[in-house]
Amino acid sequence: MQNPYIPYPVVVDKIITEVDTKDIKTFRFKFVNPEDEQKYAYIPGQFGELSIYGKGESPIGIASSPTQKGYVEFTVQKAGVVTTALHEMEEGTVMGIRGPLGNSWPLDFLAGKNIVIVGGGFAFTTLRSLINYMIFEDNRKRFGNITIIYGARTPGLLLYKDELAEWGKRTDLNLNVTVDKGDANWKGREGFVPTVCKEVAPSKENAVAVICGPPIMIRFTLPVFFDLGFSKENILTSLEMRMKCGIGKCGRCNVGSKYVCKDGPVFSLAELDKLTPEY
Amino acid sequence: MEKRLIKKDALAGIAKKMAEKLHVWAPVKKEDNVLFAPLKKDNEPFFAYLNSKNAPKNVFFPHTETMMKYTRTPNGMVFSSEENKADEAVLFGVRPCDAHSFVLLDKLFDQEKYKDSYYISKRQNTTVISLACVKPPYSSCFCTSVDGEPVSADGADILLTDIGSDYLVEFITSKGEKLASYFGETKADTVAETKKNEIAVKAKDAIKSKIPAHEIKPILDKNFDNPFWNTIHGKCLACGTCTYMCPTCHCFDISDEVKGSDGVRIRSWDSCMFPLFTKETSGHNPRSSQKERWRQRTMHKFKYYVDMFNAIACVGCGRCVMSCPVNIDIRKIVEDISKL
Repeated sequence: MQNPYIPYPVVVDKIITEVDTKDIKTFRFKFVNPEDEQKYAYIPGQFGELSIYGKGESPIGIASSPTQKGYVEFTVQKAGVVTTALHEMEEGTVMGIRGPLGNSWPLDFLAGKNIVIVGGGFAFTTLRSLINYMIFEDNRKRFGNITIIYGARTPGLLLYKDELAEWGKRTDLNLNVTVDKGDANWKGREGFVPTVCKEVAPSKENAVAVICGPPIMIRFTLPVFFDLGFSKENILTSLEMRMKCGIGKCGRCNVGSKYVCKDGPVFSLAELDKLTPEY
Repeated sequence: MEKRLIKKDALAGIAKKMAEKLHVWAPVKKEDNVLFAPLKKDNEPFFAYLNSKNAPKNVFFPHTETMMKYTRTPNGMVFSSEENKADEAVLFGVRPCDAHSFVLLDKLFDQEKYKDSYYISKRQNTTVISLACVKPPYSSCFCTSVDGEPVSADGADILLTDIGSDYLVEFITSKGEKLASYFGETKADTVAETKKNEIAVKAKDAIKSKIPAHEIKPILDKNFDNPFWNTIHGKCLACGTCTYMCPTCHCFDISDEVKGSDGVRIRSWDSCMFPLFTKETSGHNPRSSQKERWRQRTMHKFKYYVDMFNAIACVGCGRCVMSCPVNIDIRKIVEDISKL
């Protein structure tokens, strides 16, 4: 019986500071035992428990794509005890990760459809996983048009800047990056995510919108997609709740009869409508 | 399976005899309470009890347990060992409501996808001997409203029923039968069985406290926002006693403790009654007041568990009713919901 509470040992292989405020970093982990990478086979949209002995665990979405072999990445904001300890770590340190946990973005449902990705601020991590998965050369033909709308408050708060630049050069996706307010060097778009969604106006035809962001962004973005004619079945999001076990036992992350850790974190709006509004 | 008879005064001796070889949990007197404790040379089992103060769930799901250990190295703290061993044990003389709770907890801890090996290893290595309630221990007992009975083998490997001068010993599972040699040679006759069946019917009838536990599920389905939820929590102190006493409450916290160069990751009981239970690092709390927490507790027992496992997560032991310092009574809550 595999004990789901025991983390796989990993080495902090690389730490990338993502934002100019330096409080969001991407951690690249390599498995201490190479065979564990197989056991950690994940799907975009899943999360892991980052486990620091002596500090505790924190549930974080997986930011890398399973098409990226040899490592797994998590983008983490410095906030509480565990994430602060993580931010203080140095490359080469050994720690643990548990998982992969939760359902995932529904890849079979997304296959063959036009995909609209909408991300706000720091909530772009598992969307990045999904994008890198879809544009991977063996997978790209399984998906239709890919439209990405990604916004942050300032240019310095955009995540994955190098990747955004790469994606911008591609002809097989439509990338729209926006900031609430630019600076002297910013040549891109300015404006809030909901406004940009309205301007880009992705077609609802055979399309699914995958939306992650702060509650305020979600609240104003959803009406835009309703106006565009997207059905609640075709709008997906990912929930966050306080978690401990990550496997539906410790009892704190339920929304009605569903555990966000085990039955989520990904839900369609139609599914969320059936749950109690307690999240 | 086989049935035997033992003399009533033989029970304590049997438990002590088992304790010579096995790890035996039995009801023992501790000050004014009866609690399940490991039977040692310096304590005596006490079977003339009503019910134990605490639910015996701690035998499988301890109040605090070590999940694993780790050690400091030049590279930081590294995993050193998994703490997951369970001795062969006997839980001797639990009441049928509490044995029923194990069946309910199995549904959660022993799911197909994620198996909780800490719980499962203890559960698998423990033989449960139930002691039937021939008379309802308390006026607050309501097991018959939540799929239980005072004389029931649900969740038990062996069932003991007081039929007057003897206990009828029924071996329910093959796990129970393995302990048959401790229970003498006297085979039970049909007279004893008839007597037991009569006692069971009488005991069931004697449970006078009844609640419409099964009727409220469809009402709960539709009344998440009903103003009724404002009426329970006003006097609640958020002490969590109801959840700690409850045989089916299973919520836990996971935390780390370090001393010198060694550390442990432990899990401890937690409670949905506590404000911090769901409070997130951002400060957001989806269950922001005691109102939401009471709704969660009630919904979890009578709706969510039914949705998830098709079973009510209450065994009718009445511990929460008896222990609440401000007399919040789950029976009244269920009654009130049935009238919404």
